[in-house]
Amino acid sequence: MTAIIEVDNLTKRYGSKRGIIDVSFQVEEGEVFGFLGPNGAGKTTTIRLLMALLRANAGRARIAGLDCWQQSVEIKRLIGYLPGELALDPNLTGGQILEYFGHLRGGIDQAYLKQLIARLDVDPSRKFRQYSSGNKRKIGIIQAFMHRPRLLILDEPTNGLDPLNQQEFDRMVKEVRDDGRTVFLSSHILTEVEQTCHRVAIIREGQLVRVGSVEELKDIKRQEITLTFANAVPIEAFKGLAGVEQVETLADGHTLRLSVQGQADAVIKAAAQHSVVTLTSHEPSLEDIFLRYYEGDGQAVKEASHVV
Amino acid sequence: MWFRSVYLKTLRDFRVAILGWGVGMGLLMYVVLAAVPSLVATAAARAALVSLGGTFSWLAEPIALGTPGGYVTWKYGLTILAMAIWPLIACSRLLRGEEERGSLDALLSLPRGRGRVALEKLAAVWTALLGMGLLIALLAFAGGKSVSADFGLFDALLFGLNVALICGVFGSLALLLSQFTQERGTASGLTGGLLLVFVVLDMVHRIIPNTEWLSRLSPVYYYNLSKPLVPASSYGVPSSSYGANPGAMLVLLALCVLLSGAAVWLFARRDVGGTVALPSFLRLPERAVRPERALPVNAWSLRSVYTRSLGMIAVPTFWWTLVIAGFAGWMVVVVKQIEAQMTSLYASSPLLKEEITKVGGGDLATNATFLSFLFVFLPLLLMAFAVTQANRWSADEEDGRLELVLSTPQPRLRVLLGRFAALTTATVIMGVLTLAATALASAATGLQLDGGNLAAATLSMIPLGLLVAALGYLLSGWLRTALDTGLLSFLLVIWFFISFVGPDLNWSDAVLRLSAFYYYGTPLLHGLPLLDTLGVLAVGIVALALASVRFVRKDIGRS
Repeated sequence: MTAIIEVDNLTKRYGSKRGIIDVSFQVEEGEVFGFLGPNGAGKTTTIRLLMALLRANAGRARIAGLDCWQQSVEIKRLIGYLPGELALDPNLTGGQILEYFGHLRGGIDQAYLKQLIARLDVDPSRKFRQYSSGNKRKIGIIQAFMHRPRLLILDEPTNGLDPLNQQEFDRMVKEVRDDGRTVFLSSHILTEVEQTCHRVAIIREGQLVRVGSVEELKDIKRQEITLTFANAVPIEAFKGLAGVEQVETLADGHTLRLSVQGQADAVIKAAAQHSVVTLTSHEPSLEDIFLRYYEGDGQAVKEASHVV
Repeated sequence: MWFRSVYLKTLRDFRVAILGWGVGMGLLMYVVLAAVPSLVATAAARAALVSLGGTFSWLAEPIALGTPGGYVTWKYGLTILAMAIWPLIACSRLLRGEEERGSLDALLSLPRGRGRVALEKLAAVWTALLGMGLLIALLAFAGGKSVSADFGLFDALLFGLNVALICGVFGSLALLLSQFTQERGTASGLTGGLLLVFVVLDMVHRIIPNTEWLSRLSPVYYYNLSKPLVPASSYGVPSSSYGANPGAMLVLLALCVLLSGAAVWLFARRDVGGTVALPSFLRLPERAVRPERALPVNAWSLRSVYTRSLGMIAVPTFWWTLVIAGFAGWMVVVVKQIEAQMTSLYASSPLLKEEITKVGGGDLATNATFLSFLFVFLPLLLMAFAVTQANRWSADEEDGRLELVLSTPQPRLRVLLGRFAALTTATVIMGVLTLAATALASAATGLQLDGGNLAAATLSMIPLGLLVAALGYLLSGWLRTALDTGLLSFLLVIWFFISFVGPDLNWSDAVLRLSAFYYYGTPLLHGLPLLDTLGVLAVGIVALALASVRFVRKDIGRS
């Protein structure tokens, strides 16, 4: 596969305020790439740099081999874009808005447009100002998809959509992916990213802290293992074992809770030396991994709430 | 401190308006008052002024025109009503504007009743109006003092109060109408239309005998009943006739209370975001478009950035054309009608003669000179229109409305130039229709005007309008909308001041050249000043080119 998006040491400052700093990643053609981060982390800044709405202070971004700033018009022929905050003329109807953007894109397939409208169940005869926030979002999604772009850049696309429409949106993304086209979507809804994306980048305070496939991110998982023994077991027997980051004895004195990075082989072997009553292990979700990057300044944090 | 209550927060939002309108209108009063002694330097000049006042009695009742208070009351009888534009806009936005933005939902989630929220906001409007009235009164008093006028501080305060009351009536009306409209703009437009209707209704009784009953339907009539700056006792007229009229002021106050009260009562009972339900016979028929037939729309205005921009400014262009072309045509008619009085006035008022000769640019023996003097208002109006459109461009970017347009394969330059081309089209249409209106008026009244010069006078305002728009586009490359519009408006006022006051103060030619109006010249008398017009065009093109360079390179919108 070839990279359709190449971001190299991209930096954007807003005066003295941080935007993004030295962000680098690549998105392969045909993949669905998730861009995770909390509010203000730099997701929208990165996307607006890709869309040539902002000019980078340093670094470069390329889409399909074209420079995002210098060749932005050519690039925009390939892209469908949904901004995080949708601002459209409130006095136009949904249909008028879609027709206008269709013209600006040089014409679109009307049958496909009507199909999208039907799928997302939106009434195009109403004025934009009269739409609910969810329906406004749907108009935004339709205008991003309607010209079958090679690359979709979607900033928090499902914000405000109800679960049924979220499912429909997921199906639309899968169809794009099956069609060999690319989706770059930012989100803070981790389950959505986990279900729809191949790879994920995590951005924190303007800097990229992790890029990898969803599976890779899970592979760096830190398991929470809870062992209940028939008798009290000395905690020292588990401290210092390979992969063990943290051990604590719970109040009953018979139960140990361990935080294990990587394989649990050494822990299982050590436990086997004693009479084990129960053993539970909790595999972290992407959400746990995500939270770990954001809590405690990236240091490991307790995930006791997920232990069963 | 300013965020402790809805009242204080709303008042804070009005702080610039209070100062702007209060000081602006107050300074106008001051300047006019200060100029009165020179206008009536001789008995003949005073007589001529009184005669002219009679001709313009439809504008305002001419009482004691030879005195500072009487002159300013007459001269600003109508102009001061421009201040009603502020409450009209502010009150349309007061509730409906917040509903449109969605911010009222958050405000009403607070443990405060709807009625209280509305009343606190309304109280802020009233405080603002009284503040403006106070500033106007103080400056009018100062202006009166400078020419030893015989009205006192109390009279000036009553004048300010009267202005605040009439403004309050139109603000309350806008607030009431906004309960029935989905958009604040509709409420503003309707109230603006009613303001014009009421002004005309008030004029009727001064033109057609025995129609006072009709004028009494207008709040403006009650405003004009009070003339606090004309202390009647000094002029040998019964004191009950002039001065402040407590009864009329009470009528205005009652109207304010009634209209505002109804608005708040309706607001407390309707859906937030909805409108007061009208009886079915009053409702406009809904255009039922079945969703499956909503596409394709096939509207001409959706085909490109240019056509869309043209569609966006079609309605304002229509109204501004009506005002500009209407004003120009009406001026032609009026000049013919007041021919005799003007000749008399020129003979007896050297200052006025000098002013009109300098600004009008010619021999006072011709009507064209006076018309030429009045025609300087045409580019001013067109430039004001350009300010509103430059403001809209800037606001669209600030509100993020350009973001999706720029995500399509449209070069930034094309987007900016498409928008500017639409504005150019609109200004050309306005110029051509103004030419048509004045030519028709000239033919109808028999006023002899040179056709070529008339075309030059109406069409050469176009480059000035475009210059202002280009400057607005340029400034929006760095400044936020409010600052951009403020600076542009300020520039317009300064230019106007230089061109109208400068000649009287014998300012040097170098200073007068700083005003764009200088380059408009006196085309009605001397034809098109080709080099000056080309110069204005060149500066406009340079400003647009710089605006384009900036727009192509800058970060867009909400960064």
